Amino acid sequence: MQLENTAQSTLVGTKSSSTELGGSIKAGSGKKFDRKNRLLFYNRFFKIACIASAAFVCLILFSILFFMFRTGILTFRDVSPMTFFFSSDWSPENESYGAFIFIFGTFALTLLTLLISVPLSVIIAVFLAEIAPKWMRNLLRPVLDLLVGIPSVVYGFLGMTILIPLLRDLTGTNMGDGILAAAIVLTIMVLPTISRISDDAISVVPRKYRDASYALGATRFQTIFKVIIPAARSGIMYAVILGMARAIGETMAVVMVIGNTPQLADALFKPTSVLTSNIVMQIANVPFDSTWNNALYMMGFLLLVISLLMIVIVRLFQRKGAQQ
Amino acid sequence: MKLFKSLSVAAMAIALVTTSVSVAGAASSLSGKIVINGSSALLPLTLQAANEFKKLNPKVKISASAAGSVTGPQSVRKGIADIGAVDWDASTDVPGFKKFDGQVANKVAVIPFAAVVNKNVKSDSLTTKQLQDIFSGKVTNWKDVGGADADIIVVNRAFGSGTRVNFQMKALQGSDFLSKGSNYKEVKSSGDMKTAIETTPNAIGYIDLVYVTSSMKALQINGVAPSEANVINGTYKVWGYGYYMTKGKPEGAVKAFIEYIQSKKFQNGSLKKLKFIPISAIK
Repeated sequence: MQLENTAQSTLVGTKSSSTELGGSIKAGSGKKFDRKNRLLFYNRFFKIACIASAAFVCLILFSILFFMFRTGILTFRDVSPMTFFFSSDWSPENESYGAFIFIFGTFALTLLTLLISVPLSVIIAVFLAEIAPKWMRNLLRPVLDLLVGIPSVVYGFLGMTILIPLLRDLTGTNMGDGILAAAIVLTIMVLPTISRISDDAISVVPRKYRDASYALGATRFQTIFKVIIPAARSGIMYAVILGMARAIGETMAVVMVIGNTPQLADALFKPTSVLTSNIVMQIANVPFDSTWNNALYMMGFLLLVISLLMIVIVRLFQRKGAQQ
Repeated sequence: MKLFKSLSVAAMAIALVTTSVSVAGAASSLSGKIVINGSSALLPLTLQAANEFKKLNPKVKISASAAGSVTGPQSVRKGIADIGAVDWDASTDVPGFKKFDGQVANKVAVIPFAAVVNKNVKSDSLTTKQLQDIFSGKVTNWKDVGGADADIIVVNRAFGSGTRVNFQMKALQGSDFLSKGSNYKEVKSSGDMKTAIETTPNAIGYIDLVYVTSSMKALQINGVAPSEANVINGTYKVWGYGYYMTKGKPEGAVKAFIEYIQSKKFQNGSLKKLKFIPISAIK
């Protein structure tokens, strides 16, 4: 006990001067696996364990990419890339594998979602960070955080049973299914994400910017839109891209309101289909090792690539934000 | 132990009664593992049968899961599953799916289907021709089939659904579905079909008879109402068998399990409670 205490105090005392942890401990108690060797062994072992864990994460990512790609690329044995990416005729039962409808649908849906959700979220964020009284802010922030955690199938179910009949009554369309319904559901889903992160970005804009703006005689409106939002721009972009990534990958909520028909989304109220909804609708029913199956994998790989690209862009914005 | 013995005797008796082949032997000594995959429509039946069967044969392990109809025979072909539950006879060609060579189809239940419409639809009865025209997109307004002046909303199951295959074969006699249009949509499951028909005015779709609720209307087809009695007396034609596909003739524990599910006791008991129709009821 006494010995251990001494050893510990030696360790603490000389830690800063030694090059390697445990370098100051003298071996020589006679045992082969003495305190110093033990410490070195643990250090090395822990280092290896950490590196292995990190490598494991990379391995998972690359094997997912690899397996999706390996199965997906088989599509092009039977279908030319031109047909797959640019033909809008998807009828696998007749050997037509044009995925353009779904790729277009995914982008159209995401764009429409952002058109609705970004202005709304930024206004909510501005309200939260700048205008709301403290008690309201303390109430609204946890509410938004709770909204983020609601499972998407719940949104989809409510969309199907409440939103779609409502849209039908309001607009007089026959069905109500389509990209507008999906975009509204997605807007409700990504709204809390975008507004909470934008809120944080706006909150960290230094107080001196506001003071300077007011001192120059700017109104509150001018201060918010000419000073604060531009200052928080990279944080807001980061929020928008996170919201976008969630919107692109969302499946359950979309599949319940979009109508799932392989036709081009050229109208707001026309049943259509996107990459995610088409995969989940069909994957359970396709024969293994068929071109159809491979084409669905290729669509999954596309989704994966799109979301990875988004993450890369997010990192770039973060770096840019840090430099400012 | 005594109870156990009497149970196994009962199982033996059932096996003897229901099959002309009396090689079932001592059921209680059966052991092995049965993996079942496939149709979600047949899953409740499979689970119920598995529970009862495991009580009689404690040494047999049964694991059942469901994904989609076609995964049943596919899993059997790949050797992942011993039994593939499927809503059509996968040893023959059906619309959209080639036959699975070397597999044996074992009938386990009768599943009736109904053409259903939203409550606001005036029509009560359609002919086969009218159904074909509606589901192929030739007729798009209810007034052309004796209803009010309103667009017909066609709700279809996704390609590969067992219900879709059966409805296409039995109600539409093989005619094609439409696949596009602004009044057409596809849904993923029987539950989604139920919600879509209940909430969409002027909608028509089709569903397992057990899913028909009071907030939708089941249509008469050619003047015959969809009901268990009409299926049994042969007037209502829109029904299909549920099948267990096996690689070659079933053997051992798999054979005993299929025989159990085909037994009179199970068919007239649990199977009826789950609202399927016993296979022996069909002449």
